[in-house]
Amino acid sequence: MTQKNGFLPVLFLTAVVFVSVVALIATDAITREPIAAARRAAIYRRLQSLFPTMDDFAYDEESGLYTPFSEGDPLGLAFMAYTRGFGGTIAILVGLAADRTLRGIEIVSHRETPGLGARIAEPAFRDLFIGIEIDDIALSRDGGAIDGITAATISVEAVVEGVREAVSARLKHFE
Amino acid sequence: MRSLKKNFSRGIVRANPIFILLLGLCPALAVSTSLDNAVGMTGAFTFVLLAANIIVSLLREQIPDRVRIPVFIVIIATLVTIVDLMLQGFVPVLSESLGMFIPLIVVNCIILARAEAFASKNGMIDSIADAVGIGVGFGLAMLSISLVRQLFGTGSLDLFGRHLFTIPPLADNPVVFFLLPMGAFFVVGILLALFRWMGVSRSE
Repeated sequence: MTQKNGFLPVLFLTAVVFVSVVALIATDAITREPIAAARRAAIYRRLQSLFPTMDDFAYDEESGLYTPFSEGDPLGLAFMAYTRGFGGTIAILVGLAADRTLRGIEIVSHRETPGLGARIAEPAFRDLFIGIEIDDIALSRDGGAIDGITAATISVEAVVEGVREAVSARLKHFE
Repeated sequence: MRSLKKNFSRGIVRANPIFILLLGLCPALAVSTSLDNAVGMTGAFTFVLLAANIIVSLLREQIPDRVRIPVFIVIIATLVTIVDLMLQGFVPVLSESLGMFIPLIVVNCIILARAEAFASKNGMIDSIADAVGIGVGFGLAMLSISLVRQLFGTGSLDLFGRHLFTIPPLADNPVVFFLLPMGAFFVVGILLALFRWMGVSRSE
């Protein structure tokens, strides 16, 4: 039986793949716009929690810098910081005000341990970054402004390090 | 009608995918940390299983035997991608919390197993009953695992942002072990033993 229809299985599989490709292209065409809009809305929401008076933002793809505006006036800068935590990459959105103080951080994604490292995403920890000077981005035991979280040392250190490195790397854009 | 009921109920207890067949354990262990995740994963899983069972049962006369597994995989992967894109575009909130689990459905062996063992040998109506039954069985298993893990791991129960209840001494000292991967194995093992002991489940 296999000899008789040797090519049929190949043709059938090809046809199935073809139908699948068509279905995926159609789905992509339908969802491309909504997905882009949803992503932009998500970024807008996160930026707005750092810059509450923001009503618009610009994104420069080359430098990866977000510039939030309020009635046309720039409020500062925001950019992503990536750092290696306990469970994987932690993605952080860092907001910097024009006077070189932090506007705060948003944990965009992380895979830290629930109940321990995951507490970096809670306001009690994130809010420690609001309004501090760039030089104070360090744990309090190192003379900085950030208090650690018990049993979450690795996650906390990763966030602090990641934010500090990202900020110092972006400072040149600030002049 | 009788066979329809049998095909539906088989997946719930007698051939429960998690506790009897021990299939699809990988995604089940990964996402069973909270009731929300369990419900979302069950929804996405059941949709893909249902659609895959329908398509495979309709094509069962045409699919050449030698390429049936690749054909099943292409069908399942396509369905999962469609679900993923649709969720991202139209239900971004759900996509955000389930994001990384959706692609896991492709490698969920329950779906491939039902396509191979059931849908490729039975008609569409029976395959729908089978898919819904397996989906309910998967959902019950996910809920029971995540109930234990969330309760002991956080000391309180929440469902879709609604707070159900808190056990104060446990909430002050949550047993984080239950939320870690090893806790998942522990809970699944205990529940398996419990159900065997109670005689709810017997291996076929």
